Amino acid sequence: MTRQQRQRLHTSVVFMILLIASTFVIVPVLWMFSTSVKTMEEMFSLPIKWIPETISWDAYQRIWTDYPFGRYILNSFIVVSGATLISLFVSSLAGYGASRFRFLGRTAFLTFLLITQMFPSIMLLIPYFQLMKTFGLINTYAGLIFAYISFTIPLASWLMLGYFNSIPKELDDAASIDGASRWRIFWQIVMPLALPGLAATAVYAFIVGWNEYIFALVLTTDDKMKTIPIGIGELIGQYRIAWNDMMAVSLVVSVPLTILFLFLQRFLVSSLTAGAVKQ
Amino acid sequence: MALNSNQSLRKTRSVPQRHFNQRQLAGLWFILPAALSLLVIVAYPLLYGFYISLFRTNLLTRWDFRWFQNYIRIFTSADFLQTVFTTLKFTVGAVAGQFVVGLSLALLLNTKVPGRALFRTILIVPWLFPEVVVALLWKWMYNPLYGLFNDILLILNVISEPTSWLGSTATALPSVILTVIWKGYPLVMLLMLAGLQAISQEQYESAEIDGASWWQSFLYITLPNLRNVIMITLILNTVWWFKHFGIVWVLTQGGPINATSVISIDIYKTAFEAFRFGRAAALAVIVFFIVFLISFLYQRFLGGDE
Repeated sequence: MTRQQRQRLHTSVVFMILLIASTFVIVPVLWMFSTSVKTMEEMFSLPIKWIPETISWDAYQRIWTDYPFGRYILNSFIVVSGATLISLFVSSLAGYGASRFRFLGRTAFLTFLLITQMFPSIMLLIPYFQLMKTFGLINTYAGLIFAYISFTIPLASWLMLGYFNSIPKELDDAASIDGASRWRIFWQIVMPLALPGLAATAVYAFIVGWNEYIFALVLTTDDKMKTIPIGIGELIGQYRIAWNDMMAVSLVVSVPLTILFLFLQRFLVSSLTAGAVKQ
Repeated sequence: MALNSNQSLRKTRSVPQRHFNQRQLAGLWFILPAALSLLVIVAYPLLYGFYISLFRTNLLTRWDFRWFQNYIRIFTSADFLQTVFTTLKFTVGAVAGQFVVGLSLALLLNTKVPGRALFRTILIVPWLFPEVVVALLWKWMYNPLYGLFNDILLILNVISEPTSWLGSTATALPSVILTVIWKGYPLVMLLMLAGLQAISQEQYESAEIDGASWWQSFLYITLPNLRNVIMITLILNTVWWFKHFGIVWVLTQGGPINATSVISIDIYKTAFEAFRFGRAAALAVIVFFIVFLISFLYQRFLGGDE
Protein backbone atom coordinates (compact mmCIF):
# COMPACT_ATOMS: atom_id res chain seq x y z
CA MET A 1 0.00 0.00 0.00
CA THR A 2 1.41 3.38 -0.89
CA ARG A 3 1.56 6.20 1.57
CA GLN A 4 -1.27 7.96 -0.22
CA GLN A 5 -3.53 4.93 -0.15
CA ARG A 6 -2.87 4.44 3.50
CA GLN A 7 -3.72 8.07 4.13
CA ARG A 8 -6.99 7.68 2.23
CA LEU A 9 -7.94 4.52 4.13
CA HIS A 10 -7.12 6.29 7.38
CA THR A 11 -9.35 9.24 6.47
CA SER A 12 -12.26 7.05 5.49
CA VAL A 13 -12.07 5.11 8.75
CA VAL A 14 -12.11 8.38 10.70
CA PHE A 15 -15.04 9.56 8.57
CA MET A 16 -17.01 6.38 9.26
CA ILE A 17 -16.48 6.58 13.02
CA LEU A 18 -17.58 10.21 13.08
CA LEU A 19 -20.60 9.30 11.00
CA ILE A 20 -21.59 6.58 13.46
CA ALA A 21 -21.03 8.92 16.42
CA SER A 22 -23.22 11.53 14.74
CA THR A 23 -26.07 9.07 14.28
CA PHE A 24 -26.04 8.54 18.04
CA VAL A 25 -26.90 12.23 18.30
CA ILE A 26 -29.16 12.57 15.29
CA VAL A 27 -31.36 9.52 15.88
CA PRO A 28 -32.54 10.56 19.38
CA VAL A 29 -33.18 14.11 18.19
CA LEU A 30 -35.15 12.89 15.17
CA TRP A 31 -37.01 10.47 17.42
CA MET A 32 -37.98 13.46 19.52
CA PHE A 33 -39.32 15.21 16.46
CA SER A 34 -41.05 12.13 15.12
CA THR A 35 -42.78 11.62 18.48
CA SER A 36 -43.89 15.23 18.59
CA VAL A 37 -45.80 14.94 15.31
CA LYS A 38 -47.47 11.64 16.13
CA THR A 39 -51.08 11.22 17.16
CA MET A 40 -51.84 9.62 20.52
CA GLU A 41 -52.91 6.38 18.83
CA GLU A 42 -49.76 6.05 16.77
CA MET A 43 -47.51 6.90 19.68
CA PHE A 44 -48.92 4.03 21.72
CA SER A 45 -49.13 1.46 18.94
CA LEU A 46 -46.99 -1.61 18.40
CA PRO A 47 -44.72 -2.25 16.65
CA ILE A 48 -43.41 1.28 17.08
CA LYS A 49 -43.25 3.47 14.00
CA TRP A 50 -40.07 5.42 13.40
CA ILE A 51 -41.84 7.63 10.91
CA PRO A 52 -45.48 8.47 11.66
CA GLU A 53 -48.08 7.64 9.02
CA THR A 54 -50.21 10.65 9.76
CA ILE A 55 -48.30 13.76 10.64
CA SER A 56 -50.11 15.87 13.17
CA TRP A 57 -48.91 19.26 14.38
CA ASP A 58 -51.56 19.40 17.09
CA ALA A 59 -49.03 18.90 19.88
CA TYR A 60 -47.43 22.21 18.96
CA GLN A 61 -50.79 23.90 19.54
CA ARG A 62 -51.75 21.95 22.62
CA ILE A 63 -48.60 22.94 24.50
CA TRP A 64 -49.83 26.56 24.45
CA THR A 65 -53.50 25.87 25.16
CA ASP A 66 -53.66 22.78 27.40
CA TYR A 67 -50.58 23.46 29.54
CA PRO A 68 -49.24 26.62 31.22
CA PHE A 69 -45.97 26.36 29.26
CA GLY A 70 -46.34 29.89 27.93
CA ARG A 71 -46.34 31.22 31.44
CA TYR A 72 -43.39 29.00 32.43
CA ILE A 73 -41.36 30.21 29.48
CA LEU A 74 -42.13 33.80 30.39
CA ASN A 75 -41.06 33.13 34.00
CA SER A 76 -37.83 31.52 32.86
CA PHE A 77 -37.18 34.38 30.49
CA ILE A 78 -37.66 37.06 33.14
CA VAL A 79 -35.57 35.28 35.78
CA VAL A 80 -32.74 34.26 33.48
CA SER A 81 -32.53 37.66 31.76
CA GLY A 82 -32.45 39.40 35.13
CA ALA A 83 -29.72 37.13 36.44
CA THR A 84 -27.74 37.45 33.20
CA LEU A 85 -27.88 41.26 33.17
CA ILE A 86 -26.80 41.57 36.80
CA SER A 87 -23.99 39.06 36.29
CA LEU A 88 -22.74 40.84 33.18
CA PHE A 89 -22.54 44.18 34.95
CA VAL A 90 -20.88 42.86 38.09
CA SER A 91 -18.53 40.48 36.33
CA SER A 92 -17.27 43.00 33.75
CA LEU A 93 -16.14 45.20 36.60
CA ALA A 94 -14.64 42.28 38.50
CA GLY A 95 -13.00 40.77 35.42
CA TYR A 96 -11.42 44.11 34.53
CA GLY A 97 -10.28 44.72 38.09
CA ALA A 98 -8.69 41.31 38.47
CA SER A 99 -7.10 41.50 35.03
CA ARG A 100 -5.55 45.00 35.34
CA PHE A 101 -4.59 45.42 38.96
CA ARG A 102 -2.50 43.53 41.46
CA PHE A 103 -4.00 44.19 44.82
CA LEU A 104 -4.43 42.69 48.23
CA GLY A 105 -7.17 40.08 48.13
CA ARG A 106 -7.01 39.50 44.38
CA THR A 107 -5.83 35.92 44.77
CA ALA A 108 -8.34 35.35 47.53
CA PHE A 109 -11.10 36.61 45.25
CA LEU A 110 -10.05 34.39 42.35
CA THR A 111 -9.74 31.37 44.63
CA PHE A 112 -13.19 32.08 45.99
CA LEU A 113 -14.60 32.18 42.45
CA LEU A 114 -13.07 28.79 41.80
CA ILE A 115 -14.28 27.29 45.04
CA THR A 116 -17.84 28.38 44.32
CA GLN A 117 -17.68 25.87 41.47
CA MET A 118 -17.19 23.15 44.05
CA PHE A 119 -20.16 23.97 46.21
CA PRO A 120 -22.87 21.50 45.64
CA SER A 121 -25.74 23.80 44.69
CA ILE A 122 -27.63 21.55 47.03
CA MET A 123 -25.51 22.96 49.84
CA LEU A 124 -27.00 26.38 49.20
CA LEU A 125 -30.44 24.94 48.72
CA ILE A 126 -31.42 24.47 52.36
CA PRO A 127 -30.12 27.83 53.62
CA TYR A 128 -31.72 29.54 50.59
CA PHE A 129 -35.01 27.87 51.29
CA GLN A 130 -34.99 29.04 54.89
CA LEU A 131 -33.66 32.55 54.19
CA MET A 132 -36.07 33.16 51.35
CA LYS A 133 -38.95 31.95 53.43
CA THR A 134 -37.92 34.44 56.10
CA PHE A 135 -37.68 37.31 53.63
CA GLY A 136 -40.77 36.32 51.68
CA LEU A 137 -38.82 35.58 48.51
CA ILE A 138 -40.28 32.12 47.79
CA ASN A 139 -42.32 32.23 44.58
CA THR A 140 -40.85 35.55 43.49
CA TYR A 141 -38.71 36.46 40.51
CA ALA A 142 -36.31 38.27 42.86
CA GLY A 143 -35.75 35.12 44.90
CA LEU A 144 -34.89 33.05 41.86
CA ILE A 145 -32.67 35.78 40.45
CA PHE A 146 -30.73 35.83 43.73
CA ALA A 147 -30.28 32.08 43.55
CA TYR A 148 -29.23 32.16 39.90
CA ILE A 149 -26.60 34.86 40.21
CA SER A 150 -24.88 32.67 42.80
CA PHE A 151 -23.61 30.55 39.93
CA THR A 152 -23.77 32.98 36.98
CA ILE A 153 -21.56 35.63 38.62
CA PRO A 154 -18.59 33.27 39.20
CA LEU A 155 -18.92 31.80 35.71
CA ALA A 156 -19.25 35.22 34.06
CA SER A 157 -16.37 36.66 36.09
CA TRP A 158 -14.03 33.87 34.95
CA LEU A 159 -15.02 34.29 31.32
CA MET A 160 -14.67 38.08 31.43
CA LEU A 161 -11.31 37.84 33.22
CA GLY A 162 -10.07 35.61 30.41
CA TYR A 163 -11.31 38.04 27.81
CA PHE A 164 -9.84 41.14 29.47
CA ASN A 165 -6.50 39.35 29.77
CA SER A 166 -6.47 39.01 25.98
CA ILE A 167 -6.76 42.81 25.52
CA PRO A 168 -3.28 44.40 25.69
CA LYS A 169 -2.61 46.35 28.87
CA GLU A 170 -0.53 48.87 26.90
CA LEU A 171 -3.83 50.37 25.81
CA ASP A 172 -4.66 51.30 29.40
CA ASP A 173 -1.19 52.72 29.95
CA ALA A 174 -1.42 54.90 26.86
CA ALA A 175 -4.80 56.26 27.89
CA SER A 176 -3.53 56.76 31.43
CA ILE A 177 -0.66 58.89 30.15
CA ASP A 178 -3.19 60.95 28.23
CA GLY A 179 -4.84 61.67 31.57
CA ALA A 180 -7.95 59.47 31.36
CA SER A 181 -9.37 58.30 34.66
CA ARG A 182 -9.56 54.62 35.60
CA TRP A 183 -13.28 54.58 35.11
CA ARG A 184 -13.07 56.27 31.68
CA ILE A 185 -10.39 53.84 30.57
CA PHE A 186 -12.60 50.96 31.56
CA TRP A 187 -15.86 52.31 30.20
CA GLN A 188 -14.80 54.11 27.03
CA ILE A 189 -11.66 52.31 25.91
CA VAL A 190 -11.47 48.72 27.14
CA MET A 191 -15.15 47.85 27.45
CA PRO A 192 -16.00 48.54 23.78
CA LEU A 193 -13.21 46.14 22.83
CA ALA A 194 -14.55 43.56 25.24
CA LEU A 195 -18.05 43.54 23.73
CA PRO A 196 -17.55 40.23 21.90
CA GLY A 197 -16.43 38.65 25.17
CA LEU A 198 -19.43 40.18 26.89
CA ALA A 199 -21.74 38.71 24.26
CA ALA A 200 -20.21 35.24 24.67
CA THR A 201 -20.49 35.52 28.44
CA ALA A 202 -24.12 36.55 28.11
CA VAL A 203 -24.91 33.48 26.02
CA TYR A 204 -23.26 31.15 28.55
CA ALA A 205 -24.88 32.76 31.57
CA PHE A 206 -28.23 32.58 29.81
CA ILE A 207 -27.82 28.92 28.87
CA VAL A 208 -26.82 27.76 32.35
CA GLY A 209 -29.65 29.77 33.86
CA TRP A 210 -32.18 28.54 31.32
CA ASN A 211 -31.23 24.93 32.08
CA GLU A 212 -31.12 25.29 35.87
CA TYR A 213 -33.30 22.81 37.71
CA ILE A 214 -32.86 22.27 41.43
CA PHE A 215 -33.11 25.84 42.75
CA ALA A 216 -36.30 26.45 40.83
CA LEU A 217 -37.66 23.11 42.03
CA VAL A 218 -37.37 24.16 45.67
CA LEU A 219 -37.85 27.91 45.53
CA THR A 220 -41.11 27.87 43.59
CA THR A 221 -44.18 26.13 44.93
CA ASP A 222 -46.80 28.22 43.20
CA ASP A 223 -47.76 26.90 39.77
CA LYS A 224 -47.73 30.39 38.33
CA MET A 225 -44.07 30.96 39.23
CA LYS A 226 -42.47 27.76 37.92
CA THR A 227 -39.71 27.90 35.35
CA ILE A 228 -39.90 25.87 32.17
CA PRO A 229 -37.53 23.03 33.23
CA ILE A 230 -39.65 22.44 36.32
CA GLY A 231 -42.86 22.65 34.33
CA ILE A 232 -41.64 20.03 31.89
CA GLY A 233 -40.07 17.83 34.55
CA GLU A 234 -43.09 17.55 36.81
CA LEU A 235 -45.33 16.09 34.11
CA ILE A 236 -43.17 12.99 34.08
CA GLY A 237 -44.80 11.72 37.28
CA GLN A 238 -48.12 11.27 35.57
CA TYR A 239 -49.38 7.83 34.75
CA ARG A 240 -49.83 7.98 31.02
CA ILE A 241 -47.58 10.70 29.78
CA ALA A 242 -48.49 12.53 26.59
CA TRP A 243 -45.06 12.04 25.12
CA ASN A 244 -45.91 13.84 21.89
CA ASP A 245 -46.74 17.01 23.82
CA MET A 246 -43.65 16.59 25.99
CA MET A 247 -41.36 16.16 23.01
CA ALA A 248 -42.95 19.14 21.28
CA VAL A 249 -42.36 21.45 24.22
CA SER A 250 -38.86 20.02 24.71
CA LEU A 251 -37.98 20.94 21.16
CA VAL A 252 -39.55 24.37 21.47
CA VAL A 253 -37.45 25.27 24.52
CA SER A 254 -34.20 23.71 23.25
CA VAL A 255 -34.01 24.50 19.58
CA PRO A 256 -33.77 28.33 19.61
CA LEU A 257 -30.80 28.42 22.00
CA THR A 258 -29.14 25.49 20.23
CA ILE A 259 -29.37 27.19 16.86
CA LEU A 260 -28.11 30.46 18.27
CA PHE A 261 -25.15 28.68 19.81
CA LEU A 262 -24.31 26.68 16.71
CA PHE A 263 -24.31 29.83 14.57
CA LEU A 264 -21.86 31.48 16.91
CA GLN A 265 -20.02 28.31 17.91
CA ARG A 266 -16.55 29.14 16.63
CA PHE A 267 -16.50 32.34 18.61
CA LEU A 268 -18.32 31.01 21.68
CA VAL A 269 -16.17 27.91 21.99
CA SER A 270 -12.92 29.82 21.75
CA SER A 271 -13.95 32.15 24.57
CA LEU A 272 -14.85 29.19 26.76
CA THR A 273 -11.71 27.18 26.17
CA ALA A 274 -9.28 30.11 26.29
CA GLY A 275 -8.89 29.83 30.04
CA ALA A 276 -8.52 26.08 30.16
CA VAL A 277 -5.99 25.77 27.36
CA LYS A 278 -3.61 28.49 28.45
CA GLN A 279 -0.48 26.90 29.83
CA MET B 1 18.37 75.39 46.84
CA ALA B 2 19.44 72.46 48.97
CA LEU B 3 16.07 72.34 50.59
CA ASN B 4 14.39 72.50 47.25
CA SER B 5 16.22 69.58 45.73
CA ASN B 6 15.60 67.61 48.88
CA GLN B 7 11.91 68.23 48.52
CA SER B 8 11.84 67.23 44.90
CA LEU B 9 13.74 64.09 45.79
CA ARG B 10 11.18 63.15 48.38
CA LYS B 11 8.45 63.92 45.94
CA THR B 12 9.78 61.56 43.31
CA ARG B 13 10.11 58.88 45.89
CA SER B 14 6.57 59.21 47.15
CA VAL B 15 4.98 59.26 43.71
CA PRO B 16 5.33 55.54 42.90
CA GLN B 17 4.24 54.78 46.45
CA ARG B 18 1.02 56.79 46.07
CA HIS B 19 0.52 55.47 42.59
CA PHE B 20 0.78 51.92 43.92
CA ASN B 21 -1.81 52.56 46.60
CA GLN B 22 -4.17 54.08 44.09
CA ARG B 23 -3.80 51.07 41.87
CA GLN B 24 -4.53 48.81 44.81
CA LEU B 25 -7.61 50.78 45.69
CA ALA B 26 -8.84 50.99 42.10
CA GLY B 27 -8.63 47.22 41.75
CA LEU B 28 -10.62 46.74 44.92
CA TRP B 29 -13.31 49.12 43.73
CA PHE B 30 -13.74 47.15 40.55
CA ILE B 31 -14.18 43.78 42.23
CA LEU B 32 -16.26 45.21 45.08
CA PRO B 33 -19.73 44.61 43.55
CA ALA B 34 -18.91 41.01 42.68
CA ALA B 35 -17.20 40.31 46.00
CA LEU B 36 -20.06 41.85 47.99
CA SER B 37 -22.78 40.01 46.10
CA LEU B 38 -20.94 36.71 46.49
CA LEU B 39 -20.51 37.33 50.19
CA VAL B 40 -24.22 37.89 50.56
CA ILE B 41 -25.52 35.19 48.23
CA VAL B 42 -22.85 32.51 48.65
CA ALA B 43 -20.60 32.90 51.70
CA TYR B 44 -23.30 33.87 54.18
CA PRO B 45 -25.80 31.15 53.15
CA LEU B 46 -23.02 28.56 53.28
CA LEU B 47 -22.19 29.46 56.85
CA TYR B 48 -25.87 29.53 57.63
CA GLY B 49 -26.15 26.04 56.11
CA PHE B 50 -23.39 24.85 58.40
CA TYR B 51 -25.27 26.42 61.32
CA ILE B 52 -28.46 24.56 60.36
CA SER B 53 -26.47 21.32 60.21
CA LEU B 54 -25.91 21.55 63.98
CA PHE B 55 -29.63 21.38 64.69
CA ARG B 56 -32.31 18.83 64.63
CA THR B 57 -34.89 20.89 62.83
CA ASN B 58 -37.84 20.99 60.48
CA LEU B 59 -37.18 24.73 60.01
CA LEU B 60 -40.58 25.55 61.47
CA THR B 61 -41.52 24.47 64.94
CA ARG B 62 -38.48 22.57 66.01
CA TRP B 63 -34.93 23.87 66.44
CA ASP B 64 -32.99 21.63 68.82
CA PHE B 65 -29.31 22.37 69.03
CA ARG B 66 -27.44 19.05 68.93
CA TRP B 67 -23.80 19.94 68.27
CA PHE B 68 -22.38 17.39 65.80
CA GLN B 69 -24.95 14.69 66.34
CA ASN B 70 -26.12 14.83 62.73
CA TYR B 71 -22.59 14.19 61.50
CA ILE B 72 -22.02 11.35 63.93
CA ARG B 73 -25.29 9.70 62.93
CA ILE B 74 -24.46 10.05 59.24
CA PHE B 75 -21.00 8.57 59.54
CA THR B 76 -22.22 5.62 61.53
CA SER B 77 -25.10 4.73 59.21
CA ALA B 78 -24.81 2.05 56.57
CA ASP B 79 -27.19 3.97 54.28
CA PHE B 80 -24.72 6.80 53.98
CA LEU B 81 -21.89 4.51 52.88
CA GLN B 82 -24.23 2.93 50.36
CA THR B 83 -25.20 6.35 48.99
CA VAL B 84 -21.59 7.47 48.72
CA PHE B 85 -20.72 4.23 46.97
CA THR B 86 -23.56 4.68 44.45
CA THR B 87 -22.50 8.28 43.91
CA LEU B 88 -18.90 7.21 43.30
CA LYS B 89 -19.99 4.56 40.79
CA PHE B 90 -22.16 7.13 39.04
CA THR B 91 -19.41 9.76 39.01
CA VAL B 92 -16.63 7.44 37.86
CA GLY B 93 -18.84 6.00 35.13
CA ALA B 94 -19.96 9.42 33.94
CA VAL B 95 -16.54 11.10 34.05
CA ALA B 96 -14.59 8.17 32.59
CA GLY B 97 -17.18 7.61 29.86
CA GLN B 98 -17.31 11.26 28.90
CA PHE B 99 -13.54 11.43 28.95
CA VAL B 100 -13.01 8.44 26.66
CA VAL B 101 -15.74 9.48 24.22
CA GLY B 102 -14.79 13.18 24.34
CA LEU B 103 -11.06 12.62 23.85
CA SER B 104 -11.57 10.06 21.07
CA LEU B 105 -13.91 12.32 19.15
CA ALA B 106 -11.58 15.28 19.65
CA LEU B 107 -8.68 13.26 18.21
CA LEU B 108 -10.82 12.28 15.22
CA LEU B 109 -12.02 15.84 14.67
CA ASN B 110 -8.45 17.08 14.80
CA THR B 111 -7.59 15.25 11.57
CA LYS B 112 -8.13 16.50 8.01
CA VAL B 113 -11.36 14.59 7.56
CA PRO B 114 -13.95 15.98 5.11
CA GLY B 115 -17.02 17.54 6.77
CA ARG B 116 -15.39 17.95 10.13
CA ALA B 117 -17.07 21.32 10.79
CA LEU B 118 -20.45 19.68 10.26
CA PHE B 119 -19.53 16.70 12.44
CA ARG B 120 -18.39 19.02 15.18
CA THR B 121 -21.63 20.99 15.00
CA ILE B 122 -23.75 17.84 15.24
CA LEU B 123 -21.69 16.38 18.05
CA ILE B 124 -22.05 19.51 20.23
CA VAL B 125 -25.85 19.34 20.24
CA PRO B 126 -26.50 17.14 23.34
CA TRP B 127 -24.55 19.57 25.49
CA LEU B 128 -26.86 22.42 24.52
CA PHE B 129 -30.09 20.66 25.43
CA PRO B 130 -31.40 21.39 28.94
CA GLU B 131 -30.86 18.59 31.46
CA VAL B 132 -34.57 18.08 31.83
CA VAL B 133 -35.06 17.71 28.11
CA VAL B 134 -32.23 15.19 27.86
CA ALA B 135 -33.62 13.22 30.78
CA LEU B 136 -37.12 13.28 29.33
CA LEU B 137 -35.95 12.19 25.90
CA TRP B 138 -34.01 9.26 27.33
CA LYS B 139 -36.80 8.27 29.63
CA TRP B 140 -39.01 8.03 26.56
CA MET B 141 -36.34 6.10 24.65
CA TYR B 142 -35.91 3.68 27.56
CA ASN B 143 -39.68 3.09 27.69
CA PRO B 144 -40.03 -0.71 27.89
CA LEU B 145 -42.96 -0.88 25.46
CA TYR B 146 -42.83 2.04 23.09
CA GLY B 147 -39.23 3.13 23.45
CA LEU B 148 -36.65 3.35 20.70
CA PHE B 149 -33.87 1.79 22.75
CA ASN B 150 -35.45 -1.65 23.02
CA ASP B 151 -36.56 -1.47 19.41
CA ILE B 152 -33.02 -0.89 18.13
CA LEU B 153 -31.52 -3.54 20.40
CA LEU B 154 -34.18 -6.04 19.25
CA ILE B 155 -33.44 -5.28 15.62
CA LEU B 156 -29.72 -5.72 16.27
CA ASN B 157 -30.45 -8.94 18.17
CA VAL B 158 -28.64 -7.73 21.25
CA ILE B 159 -31.64 -8.63 23.40
CA SER B 160 -34.39 -11.15 22.75
CA GLU B 161 -37.24 -9.42 24.58
CA PRO B 162 -38.02 -5.88 25.74
CA THR B 163 -36.26 -4.85 28.94
CA SER B 164 -37.28 -2.25 31.50
CA TRP B 165 -33.91 -0.48 31.63
CA LEU B 166 -34.80 2.05 34.30
CA GLY B 167 -37.09 -0.34 36.14
CA SER B 168 -34.63 -2.96 37.29
CA THR B 169 -32.01 -2.41 39.97
CA ALA B 170 -29.31 -4.04 37.86
CA THR B 171 -29.66 -1.86 34.77
CA ALA B 172 -30.94 1.45 36.20
CA LEU B 173 -27.59 2.94 37.15
CA PRO B 174 -25.78 2.00 33.90
CA SER B 175 -28.74 3.41 31.95
CA VAL B 176 -28.57 6.67 33.86
CA ILE B 177 -24.81 6.82 33.30
CA LEU B 178 -25.26 6.29 29.57
CA THR B 179 -27.67 9.23 29.46
CA VAL B 180 -25.24 11.40 31.37
CA ILE B 181 -22.36 10.46 29.06
CA TRP B 182 -24.51 11.45 26.07
CA LYS B 183 -25.27 14.80 27.67
CA GLY B 184 -21.77 15.57 28.91
CA TYR B 185 -19.18 14.31 26.41
CA PRO B 186 -19.38 17.38 24.11
CA LEU B 187 -17.84 19.70 26.69
CA VAL B 188 -14.89 17.34 27.14
CA MET B 189 -14.61 17.06 23.36
CA LEU B 190 -14.51 20.85 22.93
CA LEU B 191 -11.93 21.36 25.67
CA MET B 192 -9.71 18.55 24.33
CA LEU B 193 -10.05 19.83 20.78
CA ALA B 194 -8.93 23.28 21.88
CA GLY B 195 -6.01 21.67 23.69
CA LEU B 196 -5.05 19.62 20.64
CA GLN B 197 -5.16 22.63 18.36
CA ALA B 198 -2.77 24.48 20.65
CA ILE B 199 -0.04 21.85 20.17
CA SER B 200 2.47 22.96 17.56
CA GLN B 201 2.63 20.79 14.45
CA GLU B 202 6.43 20.93 14.41
CA GLN B 203 6.64 18.45 17.26
CA TYR B 204 4.67 15.91 15.27
CA GLU B 205 6.67 16.56 12.11
CA SER B 206 10.00 15.97 13.79
CA ALA B 207 8.62 12.85 15.49
CA GLU B 208 7.50 11.56 12.11
CA ILE B 209 10.97 12.15 10.66
CA ASP B 210 12.38 10.15 13.56
CA GLY B 211 10.01 7.33 12.59
CA ALA B 212 7.63 7.51 15.53
CA SER B 213 4.37 5.57 15.24
CA TRP B 214 1.00 7.19 15.76
CA TRP B 215 0.77 5.60 19.17
CA GLN B 216 4.21 6.88 20.18
CA SER B 217 3.35 10.40 19.07
CA PHE B 218 0.14 10.20 21.04
CA LEU B 219 1.90 8.95 24.14
CA TYR B 220 4.92 11.22 24.09
CA ILE B 221 3.63 14.39 22.43
CA THR B 222 -0.14 14.60 22.63
CA LEU B 223 -0.76 13.44 26.18
CA PRO B 224 2.00 15.47 27.87
CA ASN B 225 0.86 18.59 26.02
CA LEU B 226 -2.73 17.99 27.03
CA ARG B 227 -1.91 17.39 30.66
CA ASN B 228 -3.21 20.74 31.90
CA VAL B 229 -6.43 20.60 29.91
CA ILE B 230 -7.00 17.03 31.00
CA MET B 231 -6.53 17.93 34.63
CA ILE B 232 -8.88 20.92 34.49
CA THR B 233 -11.48 18.88 32.63
CA LEU B 234 -11.30 15.95 35.01
CA ILE B 235 -11.51 18.11 38.12
CA LEU B 236 -14.41 20.22 36.87
CA ASN B 237 -16.25 17.19 35.55
CA THR B 238 -15.81 15.08 38.67
CA VAL B 239 -16.94 17.91 40.89
CA TRP B 240 -19.84 18.66 38.57
CA TRP B 241 -21.21 15.12 38.30
CA PHE B 242 -20.53 14.14 41.89
CA LYS B 243 -23.15 16.65 43.01
CA HIS B 244 -25.47 16.17 40.06
CA PHE B 245 -29.20 16.09 40.57
CA GLY B 246 -31.41 16.96 37.59
CA ILE B 247 -31.05 14.10 35.11
CA VAL B 248 -31.12 11.38 37.77
CA TRP B 249 -34.11 12.98 39.41
CA VAL B 250 -36.19 13.10 36.25
CA LEU B 251 -35.12 9.64 35.08
CA THR B 252 -35.55 7.59 38.26
CA GLN B 253 -36.00 9.83 41.35
CA GLY B 254 -33.31 7.63 42.90
CA GLY B 255 -35.13 4.36 42.32
CA PRO B 256 -35.85 1.54 41.79
CA ILE B 257 -35.42 0.95 45.52
CA ASN B 258 -32.18 2.92 46.00
CA ALA B 259 -30.32 1.79 42.90
CA THR B 260 -29.69 5.30 41.58
CA SER B 261 -29.92 7.21 44.83
CA VAL B 262 -26.92 9.50 44.45
CA ILE B 263 -26.04 11.83 47.28
CA SER B 264 -27.83 14.94 46.02
CA ILE B 265 -31.04 12.95 45.61
CA ASP B 266 -30.58 11.68 49.15
CA ILE B 267 -30.11 15.25 50.41
CA TYR B 268 -33.17 16.48 48.54
CA LYS B 269 -35.36 13.71 49.90
CA THR B 270 -34.01 14.05 53.44
CA ALA B 271 -34.80 17.77 53.39
CA PHE B 272 -37.94 18.19 51.34
CA GLU B 273 -39.66 14.85 51.76
CA ALA B 274 -38.63 13.77 55.28
CA PHE B 275 -38.22 17.39 56.52
CA ARG B 276 -35.01 16.52 58.37
CA PHE B 277 -33.27 19.73 57.38
CA GLY B 278 -30.47 19.48 59.93
CA ARG B 279 -29.35 16.11 58.67
CA ALA B 280 -29.67 17.23 55.05
CA ALA B 281 -27.57 20.32 55.72
CA ALA B 282 -24.93 18.13 57.38
CA LEU B 283 -24.92 15.84 54.33
CA ALA B 284 -24.38 18.87 52.10
CA VAL B 285 -21.41 20.00 54.18
CA ILE B 286 -19.92 16.51 53.90
CA VAL B 287 -20.37 16.57 50.11
CA PHE B 288 -18.43 19.81 49.99
CA PHE B 289 -15.50 18.25 51.81
CA ILE B 290 -15.57 15.14 49.65
CA VAL B 291 -15.55 17.27 46.51
CA PHE B 292 -12.74 19.37 47.93
CA LEU B 293 -10.74 16.23 48.71
CA ILE B 294 -11.28 14.87 45.21
CA SER B 295 -9.99 18.00 43.52
CA PHE B 296 -7.05 18.10 45.91
CA LEU B 297 -6.12 14.51 45.09
CA TYR B 298 -6.34 15.19 41.36
CA GLN B 299 -4.02 18.13 41.68
CA ARG B 300 -1.64 16.07 43.78
CA PHE B 301 -1.41 13.17 41.36
CA LEU B 302 -1.93 14.80 37.99
CA GLY B 303 -0.78 18.34 38.67
CA GLY B 304 2.95 18.00 39.16
CA ASP B 305 4.30 21.52 38.91
CA GLU B 306 1.35 23.60 40.11
